[in-house]
Formats: sequence, C-alpha cells, structure tokens
Amino acid sequence: MMSAVTEQRPTAMQRATQGDADAFAMVLDPLLNPAYRLAAVMLSDRMAAEDAVQEAAVKAWRNLGQLRGDESSLRAWFLSIVANECRMTRRRRWWSVVKLADVEPDRGRAGLSQEATTDLRRAIARLSPDERLPLVLYFYLDLPLDEVARTLRVSPAAAKSRIYRAAQRLRSDLTLEEVS
Amino acid sequence: MTRESFRRDINREFDALSGSPSPALSARVRAALTENRPARIGPPVWMAGVAAAMIALIIVGVLVASNLNRHQTGIVPGTIPSPSSSPVVSARPNATPSAQASPTSPAGRYACGNSAASATNPPLSAFVNAVRTGTHAGYDQVTIQFSNGQPSDVNFDPQSTATFMESPKGQAITLAGQDGILITIKGADGHTQYSGPTDFNTNYPELKEMRQVQDFEGTVQWALGLAHPGCYAYTFLTNPTRLVIYIQQ
Repeated sequence: MMSAVTEQRPTAMQRATQGDADAFAMVLDPLLNPAYRLAAVMLSDRMAAEDAVQEAAVKAWRNLGQLRGDESSLRAWFLSIVANECRMTRRRRWWSVVKLADVEPDRGRAGLSQEATTDLRRAIARLSPDERLPLVLYFYLDLPLDEVARTLRVSPAAAKSRIYRAAQRLRSDLTLEEVS
Repeated sequence: MTRESFRRDINREFDALSGSPSPALSARVRAALTENRPARIGPPVWMAGVAAAMIALIIVGVLVASNLNRHQTGIVPGTIPSPSSSPVVSARPNATPSAQASPTSPAGRYACGNSAASATNPPLSAFVNAVRTGTHAGYDQVTIQFSNGQPSDVNFDPQSTATFMESPKGQAITLAGQDGILITIKGADGHTQYSGPTDFNTNYPELKEMRQVQDFEGTVQWALGLAHPGCYAYTFLTNPTRLVIYIQQ
C-alpha cells in the first residue's frame, strides 16, 4: 500500500509540473491541514486562515516552476508561502487586530491548572505572528529543525535560536538544549 | 515542566486557537487551482530574460554587421557617399502587426460598454465569501464568490478615470491606473462571511488595483483601477457560485 503511494507521488508531481491542476491539488492535499493550522495560529482567525491557505495554494501553483520538481522541498516551500500570505493578510487589513479564538479551549484538563493554562494562553497571545511561526513549525507541526529553517529561510542555527527566543517568552526557565 | 509537557501544553493552546479546517477547504483549493492556471511553468523568469536578451543581442549584432557591409559595398573610393544616395536597409524588421490579445475571453467576446446581469431566482442576500484576483496571458481576472447563490443584479460601468465615490462616506478615492470599471452587485452582503482584503494592489498588466467602495444596504460595489480603457467579459460559474470577470489586457 505504502509503495503504491510512493510510486504515485512523483507521477502526480510531474503532471503538476506539466500544468495539471488536479495533480497539483492531489500533491497539495496532505499539506492543507498543516498549512491551515499554521495560518490559523498566525492570524487568530479561522476564516482568514482558510483564505490565506487558498491564496497560498494559487501562488504556489503559479510559481511551481521555482520548485523544479523537487517534491522533498514541497512542504517547507509551501508553508513558507502560507506564512508570507499570512503576513500580507495582516498588512492588508487596516483594521487588523489579533482576534480571540472562535472556540474557547477545554478548561478542565488534568495536569495543568486553570491559572497555568490562562498564563500560557496570555503569553501566546502576546507573541507576534512572526514569533509564533517558529513555535508552530517546530512544536505544533513537529517539523524537523532543518525543515523549520528552510520554511523560515534561515540557517538551522538561526531557526533554533528563533524557536528558543519565542519559547522562552512562554517559559522563562527553558534552556537552549531543550530546543534541539 | 519538562520539554514534553511544554510541547503538549503549547500544542493544546494552538489546537484551541486553530480548530480544524472546514471540510470544504480541500474542494475550495482545488476549484481555485483549476480556475487559476499558472501563466508559466518552467525555468525561472530570469533565465528567460537572459535568453531573450542574448537572442536580441545576436539579432541586433547580425543586423548591424549586415548593414555595415551594405554601406561599405556602396562606397565608391574617393567619393563621399550621400546619405540618400545609397539604398538604406533599415536595421528594424518590417513592421508587422503586433500580437493582439485574443478578442475572446474564456467567457466569450469582450464588451467595452455598460452591461448588466440578473438572476432568475436570487437569494434574499447573496453572501460574498471570497474575492480573488489573477493574471493570465491576454487577460486579468477577478473572482467574487458567493456562498448561497447568484445575487439579483450585477452592473458593470466602465469609466474614463480611476476615481470612484466611496459609499456611504461620499468620499472620492483614486485607485492606481488611468481608467476604471465599477461593479455594482445588488442584493449582496460583503461583510458577514467575507473578512479578506478589501483593497488589492495587483499591478497586473491591465488591472492595477481593485477596491471595495461600498458594502451597505444590500449593495456591494467593487471598483477596478485599470491601465487603459477596459474591455471585459464575465460569467457566473457554479459550485461554488462565483462571478468571474475577465479584463482584456
């Protein structure tokens, strides 16, 4: 089953590179969920996040030649377009504010006090979208450090430093070794 | 707090913030991709630029060289050639009609005057839920998507300036470009389900800017700032319902 999938993907990518929109949609499909989650955290607005993902998909489609068929770089490349689209969305909206989430998170959880949850939430709300980005990529989407770096278009050392700085704003006793 | 519990807690907060994407996202993206065919897939633009520049240099070089040879053969020793005495071969190729943009759009022939469309069974208010722009060979494209059906009336009013009246403020605003088209959508709502940009600085070959100038009392207006007097064509597509406007370049 897995081998069948592995064999299909390059074919879809090749067809996408030749201008097949359906093939590109198929290649992009597994990335829509992480892309949406990234956008939703950066924008704090679920509808705007879906719009950003759609716009990013169209931009990726129109610039697919830049990727030169390198499917292994597709995820980092597409997520960097999504992040950029989120920045543009925020710039375009003159009324742009950091909205609260549409749904309140579950408050009654074991292992974490109400106060600690609120503190963490407030600390996240204080982060700028660009500070949230490395945290989302590394902790939430669970991307390896080198892919975080490619998405941020910086060196792995710089990516690590950005993750550390942002995480430290949420947890002051965090050490650099914990981000590795 | 260990690293793992930190990761767990932060992810829980991110989960609460993002939720899940709507089930329609995948279909929506697919529709947008089908609608926005890439203008060019291949090597990067700079490669094409370099190749074009080299070809132009070679052509110019050949023409200059052939022109020099022609002048040299026309010179009689001991005389000064008159500029008008020898046949002059122009370095430029004969003027041929430049490649014209296709006179038809994906929706048919372009129109340059006012026009209007009406729906037979419109909803009370058609909710705009997405607005997109794009550029393609021969035309720029605007898509206004509705979540619940085609609005009752749409009017297209080309004009010879890019200045529009913002309503209900009554304030004149000038968009990028020299000319414009005002799109008036009656029986529509542009704010309940649409939270995207209301000003697109596109700078496409023809569509320079697009801005929402009214979203009030059931009428939504989008103003297009164009580089030249604009000819356009439009169509309503379904699934999802969307008004697609093609502006001739």
